[in-house]
Amino acid sequence: MDPQHIRNFSIIAHIDHGKSTLADRLLEFTGALSQREMMNQVLDTMDLERERGITIKAHAVRLEYKADDGQLYQLNLIDTPGHVDFTYEVSRSLQACEGALLVVDASQGVEAQTLANTYLALHHNLEIIPVINKIDLPAAEPERIREQIEQVVGLDASGAILASAKQGIGIKEILENVVLLVPPPAGDPKAPLRALIFDSWFDPYRGVIMLMRIVDGAIRVGQKIRLWATNKTFEVEGLGYQTPKPVPTQELSAGEAGFIFANVKTISDAQIGDTITDAINPCEEPLPGFQEAKPMVFAGLYPVESHEHNLLREALEKLRLNDSSFNFEPESSVALGFGFRCGFLGLLHLEIVQERLEREFNIDLITTAPGVRYKITKTSGELIEVDNPTRFPNPSEIARTEEPIIEATVITREEYLGEILKLLEEKRGEQKKFEYIGGGRVLLTYELPLNEIVLDFYDRLKSASRGYASLDYHLSGFRASPMVKLDVLVAGEPVDALSMIVHRDFAYERGKILIERLRKLIPRQMFEVALQAAIGNKVIARETIPAMRKNVIAKCYGGDISRKRKLLEKQKEGKKRMKRVGKVEIPQEAFLAVLKVGNSGDDQD
Amino acid sequence: MPGVYLSFPFCGQKCTYCNFGSGVFPQSLSEEYLAALKHEIAAFGWNWTPDTLFLGGGTPSLMEPDVIEDLLDAVPGKPWREATLEAAPGSFDAAKVQAWIRGGVNRVSLGAQSFVTAELRRTGRRHTAQTVEADCALLRDRGITNFNLDLIAGLPGQTPASFQESLDEIARLDPPHVSVYMLEVDEDSRLGLEILNHGSRYGAGDVPGDDAIVEMYETAVDRLAALGMHRYEISNFAKPGFESEHNLKYWRLEPYAGFGADAHSLDGGVRWRNVESPSEYVKRWREGRSPAEDRTEACFAEEKFFVGLRLSEGVRATDTERDFYREPIARFIEQGLLEDGGGVLRLTRRGVLLSNEVFEEFVNP
Repeated sequence: MDPQHIRNFSIIAHIDHGKSTLADRLLEFTGALSQREMMNQVLDTMDLERERGITIKAHAVRLEYKADDGQLYQLNLIDTPGHVDFTYEVSRSLQACEGALLVVDASQGVEAQTLANTYLALHHNLEIIPVINKIDLPAAEPERIREQIEQVVGLDASGAILASAKQGIGIKEILENVVLLVPPPAGDPKAPLRALIFDSWFDPYRGVIMLMRIVDGAIRVGQKIRLWATNKTFEVEGLGYQTPKPVPTQELSAGEAGFIFANVKTISDAQIGDTITDAINPCEEPLPGFQEAKPMVFAGLYPVESHEHNLLREALEKLRLNDSSFNFEPESSVALGFGFRCGFLGLLHLEIVQERLEREFNIDLITTAPGVRYKITKTSGELIEVDNPTRFPNPSEIARTEEPIIEATVITREEYLGEILKLLEEKRGEQKKFEYIGGGRVLLTYELPLNEIVLDFYDRLKSASRGYASLDYHLSGFRASPMVKLDVLVAGEPVDALSMIVHRDFAYERGKILIERLRKLIPRQMFEVALQAAIGNKVIARETIPAMRKNVIAKCYGGDISRKRKLLEKQKEGKKRMKRVGKVEIPQEAFLAVLKVGNSGDDQD
Repeated sequence: MPGVYLSFPFCGQKCTYCNFGSGVFPQSLSEEYLAALKHEIAAFGWNWTPDTLFLGGGTPSLMEPDVIEDLLDAVPGKPWREATLEAAPGSFDAAKVQAWIRGGVNRVSLGAQSFVTAELRRTGRRHTAQTVEADCALLRDRGITNFNLDLIAGLPGQTPASFQESLDEIARLDPPHVSVYMLEVDEDSRLGLEILNHGSRYGAGDVPGDDAIVEMYETAVDRLAALGMHRYEISNFAKPGFESEHNLKYWRLEPYAGFGADAHSLDGGVRWRNVESPSEYVKRWREGRSPAEDRTEACFAEEKFFVGLRLSEGVRATDTERDFYREPIARFIEQGLLEDGGGVLRLTRRGVLLSNEVFEEFVNP
């Protein structure tokens, strides 16, 4: 199609501000789907996406719209993941567009994440069309939100469209604005092929399927293509676009978006952000901005049932076919047996992988405390990167440790400011910006160690603000910090799965809280058990679990032997589920205790 | 010779610590229940004659004199070597005791539980130390000298010191048999459930800890021994010759037949139980169906240990058994939970308190 009649756009919105409903309405209005075919949130296809109301994978749907000017337009709605963990993926999807709808809830206002994604879109020179959604709700204050968009985002919002995706209000106006305001794609249809991959997944029948936007040139079935990052060549087997049903086609040309499959076997060959070009007549330069996916959060995943170790490996391999942004390698723990050290883009990503493993593969998992990757300079001068406490060198071998730092943006209401500032202080934050943004709201920018975010920051932030705080962050660099490895010894034996890397100044307090909690979680044994928290050889805290005094059934009433048998069987089963370290039986909850030691101060019984 | 257990699950009130199916039910149900019970006794094959009988509850002492005589007349074998009736303090008078004796009762188990009024009130009990004292005098006066007093260690508000007061009363009343039950915490009693849910009703927040309960129990073992009562089972203490013949059958895996709601039986190597609820029991009778369920083959090889080791006389293990359980037996001896003498395995004093840790090894080995 003539690029003059193509518009590529995406939707930027905070969770629950109505992105998916709006997308559904646009599909319905343009007739891409009949009302009968509509199901809520058509675009979020994974169960998890629908349940959580978030988009994990990107989509590109072609809408045919006959505008008021009488012309037929091809509108490509490129939906993006909506979470801070997936900033890179979002930026690639945005790069495939010329415009974006900025959807803001008419009563909630601008949130941190929306702000971050809008800036990302402006950075890619996208035309932003503000849409104030949910105007049908009683609490809607469109005028206040209009002002807020101007003040906080710095956009002219005088033309903002008032809409209610739920009620179908403003849908036509949105489509007209897309046609009028979003620039047509600027690529050269005659230049050598250049296409941007903005998502990819594995299909068991066709191999890797890539979603892409053609920037220059055209792509045809049978064409020999080359993937820039790996320099591998493939032959195009199929092409098409989604309506959202897949529609096959013979050719896609500059400005258009769609899917392609070319017998690519592994997802790591089709990385998000990479450039597709012609194998015989390649372009000179790839498209800008490509980065290898880089895990930032690391944790050990172990099967609860140790014999499920191979099952877990197979499951991880299958998941990785679809998600090249996480990685895993085998590791073993004295306490937990054989498992895998995994790297994730962030905490949500970790949770998603964990949930998919449990749900789609039916494996019960123990996840060790998530951590980050540190840069360590050894006294020998050697520079290493460590994300696993078990690989942390002895204190005497360490010359310098550096930890990853993020820049975090928090938007909240004034009344919760006190609690939130306290939390940010506690998490070793450094204030960079403090700004009142009207409507009783405050925007904070802080530099924080990533390590402090991964334990319990979201939960703490939520409870400190009763849910009225939004967060966005990105990695901003590394900072020298005195990090130490905190070990836990149970009856004199170090329990590797309980080790963690912490800031030296917090080590004493966290060690104390951790073993206090363990004292309550580890049942009394036949003998006294010492619990110690130690840095290197230095014990910094100690607790004792006294020996078990009694475990006895007093009554054996009226000859009821079966009740007694059941009780003993239950006791025996309970012990089987515990992990044995030395002579001590440790319940699984104890390994989770380490996840909760971030919140010092409010340790409850 | 086998024994007979009769269940009368009706009470004047439901105690907070009670984890049995007993309780307070309408009068009409108890009348129908007795009819059903007599029918079940009559319908039993009786290819043996019992020499012990235990009428438990619930609170059988609530039954009217003629009713109880009528019920006992239904069971063959009178006069039995031992026939025990469970009684609540303050629930009987001379006329009832006379009727019991006519019916064949020669032993009474009295649910004293504590002699400290405040502790009794919190469990829902209405009697006092004086009530128990008067009951003991009445029983002795009518010729029942073989009686038991129950004590509970672990009641809300109880302390090792207050428990000593209860033991002082035991010393004064000088019964020939005492049972000391450490409180069982499970979801089947109101108090137990409250403790498990970290609640505060029924004094759940004031229940003594394990260490205090152990201290109470150990004190009881010593003081009762000084009174001439030796421990013959984990919770049971008696002067020589006053051990409960009927209860010993349970622990020695000898046969017994139970009648009534939630009664258990072992006969011909098979165990079964009756339905737990009294109304379901009555319903089955009306429909002409048997109340028995869960009929299973007894596993004597395992029960011999996890039931038999409850007795102070211990368990005589065969060479095959010693070989099969070699590892756990050696471990328990090393940990000081078991002792091995003259071919007999016994729990040590510490082993009694940790007996579930030992028994576990003999269940589904």
